[in-house]
Amino acid sequence: MRILALLLLLPLLAAAEPATVIKPAELKQEPASDAATLATLPENTAVDALERKGGWTRVKAGAGEGWVRMLSLRLGGATTAKPGASGLTQAFNVARTGTSGTQATTGVRGLDAEQIANAQPNPAELAKLEKFAADRDAATSFASQGKLSPTSVAYPK
Amino acid sequence: MKILSLLAGLVFAATAQAQFRLPNIDINKMVDTVKNVGKAVKDIDEPEEIAIGKDVASRLLGAAPLVANPGMQRYVNNVGRWLAVQTERPDLPWQFGVLDSPNVNAFAVPGGTIFITRGLLERMRSEAELAGVLGHEIVHVLRKHHLKAIQKGAQSALAGDAAAAALRDRAGPARDKLIAFSTEMYSRGLDKSDELEADRLGVVIAARGGYDAYGLPSVLQTLQAMNAQDSALALMFKTHPAPAERLDSLSEKMQPVLDAYSSQPQLAERFVRQIKK
Repeated sequence: MRILALLLLLPLLAAAEPATVIKPAELKQEPASDAATLATLPENTAVDALERKGGWTRVKAGAGEGWVRMLSLRLGGATTAKPGASGLTQAFNVARTGTSGTQATTGVRGLDAEQIANAQPNPAELAKLEKFAADRDAATSFASQGKLSPTSVAYPK
Repeated sequence: MKILSLLAGLVFAATAQAQFRLPNIDINKMVDTVKNVGKAVKDIDEPEEIAIGKDVASRLLGAAPLVANPGMQRYVNNVGRWLAVQTERPDLPWQFGVLDSPNVNAFAVPGGTIFITRGLLERMRSEAELAGVLGHEIVHVLRKHHLKAIQKGAQSALAGDAAAAALRDRAGPARDKLIAFSTEMYSRGLDKSDELEADRLGVVIAARGGYDAYGLPSVLQTLQAMNAQDSALALMFKTHPAPAERLDSLSEKMQPVLDAYSSQPQLAERFVRQIKK
């Protein structure tokens, strides 16, 4: 049982992800603005993002580790194209349409611009969609199972 | 003097009319048409909004069917409906569907139908992230962003009388044209200001539902980290401002709300249990 729970947690412990500091950021000991500042990371510092807690991301920067404001980071390395599925798909699209990747809207994805524009009604799927809808009571008990408490928050002006 | 200019005006008017008069124009009919369009545009009531939405939803489902996983579909409906209950339109016939496409995208249809793709869902890490995206889409419905675009576009896509007929008669050929036009809109996107508004208010709706408000920014950061050339992103990037711009806008305008509700639950485990199995 414990092993099962651990397995379920595995995808959460994502491997360190490369990230770049996009504006000067204080490296904090804890994920809070009043926590001790360990260092100030200048713009363009390369770090490894480890986990997120609220508005804070735990990063490894050089020898040190700490928390920076999530919005002061850009995830992903500085490099451009990554190998893998996307590249393959693009190659496939080029083969199929004879155009470059950006023009490749006639792929197999089902929801490209052209396929949406030419879509025909699917009443059978619409009926299924209606069947899965949750009513207010079901949604409310689902929320309390997750210990979600509704909060009053005003829209910004 | 006044009489003279009046006379001059009359002469000018007569000449102008002689010059520009076209055969067979019925002024009364033109006036009616203009009135009809004005009426059609203003008078889409809630039942009509819902009816148009169902027709559009059916077409989008024609482009990609639902993922054949009832547990996943019910889970996303529970999250979405719980959020919708926190809004000013809690009793629309809200329904949420996961579309079986590896593309990364989500769609809001007038009247309360929201779609999210399997490709986007698979890149999320928690229920709070899902709530952030559904909150964004719910705002499009609340503020009638697509409905307004449909209304505006219907005037140019269909002749005035046809636009009115399309709304009046749910089975005629003009109706088909209206629905086709409305569906096509999802390949072109909304105004940027609508998207940024949906981000700001979507964060509020997720927070109202009791979720960590950083769910939406977190998804935007994931998108930002993806290869922009990935064709799975093509339509979403074409129809939305770049993730960096959306993050900047949230950071500039919503930081206090984001921080005030950042310690609410993320429900990562429940999400993983429901989605990744």
